[in-house]
Amino acid sequence: MMSTILLMACITFFTRYLFLHHTLPFRVGPKMQQFLSFSAPAVLTAIWVPIVFVNEEGINLDWQNPYLSAAIAAIIVAYKTHNIYYTTLVGMGLFLILN
Amino acid sequence: MKLTTKRALLKGFLDMLPLCLAVIPWGILCGSLAIQNGFTAVETQAMSLLVFAGSAQLVAIELIAGNTPLLTILFTTFIISSRHFLYGLAVRHKVINQPLRWRLPVSFVLTDELFAFSHHRKAYRTKTRLIYALSAGFSFYIAWNLWTLIGILAGSLLPDLTNLGLDFAIAATFIALVIPGIKNLATLATVITAGVTATILKSHGFELWLVTAALIAMSVGYMICRLQVTQEHKL
Repeated sequence: MMSTILLMACITFFTRYLFLHHTLPFRVGPKMQQFLSFSAPAVLTAIWVPIVFVNEEGINLDWQNPYLSAAIAAIIVAYKTHNIYYTTLVGMGLFLILN
Repeated sequence: MKLTTKRALLKGFLDMLPLCLAVIPWGILCGSLAIQNGFTAVETQAMSLLVFAGSAQLVAIELIAGNTPLLTILFTTFIISSRHFLYGLAVRHKVINQPLRWRLPVSFVLTDELFAFSHHRKAYRTKTRLIYALSAGFSFYIAWNLWTLIGILAGSLLPDLTNLGLDFAIAATFIALVIPGIKNLATLATVITAGVTATILKSHGFELWLVTAALIAMSVGYMICRLQVTQEHKL
């Protein structure tokens, strides 16, 4: 089992390190750079939205879904305050009450 | 220690703190799930110490416990980790001129969470910014391993945590990171596209859902940017 873990570690490290390797012979041009500037909102949103909407049965669009109400509350607080602590507290608080 | 160094260390730690707390459920789950599936304590901790990738670890624990062939486990790990290629590409021009002794640790802790703090124009470019990033990255590393350890110790004492919906903590912190960054139409369109595409692809069980959704969303944002530029030229 330890060898499996070591191989997994090699893979995750490889995916993280590859494009930070010096001798990789390419430059990221300005157009590519502009494209990549959208990667943070794209990936982070692609992670959190399915947490809210996807469960074992499929897509859950029910208004009774506590994930959905808590997410909407968190979005409003994030938009108004720009504060990660307030957003998480309100979101988690409402989620725990509803759940 | 210089004052700026101290400040950078402290700021990195404090900025990452909410994310360190948000992964408590996942970290504990990683530890306890592995123990419940027959991993030893050392193997479980080694996974968090060496692999340091929550979603890949959770999936691999289930696969290993199910006697899945090694190649399948490694391929799945690769698919889940492939989003890191995007992160490396996106920060490459900021980090690439730094010596290896900085690039190696940065890439080791380049998680979703650290990447969320990498958008600043000067990120990774100065020594203070590097110290800030490493402080944030490694405080997340230490937290992740602490939560894993708690999961190991609690082990089979814990009830099944998977259905408590504690993953919402991740969603809440990511909302806090993404929403304030929406300052123009292109980013708004990126976020909406990413959410809709990821939800549809994931619910259909498409394995590459995350990277595919991200690439489609990034293309939408990029195209809107280009369109706006050409229209400004016409005016």
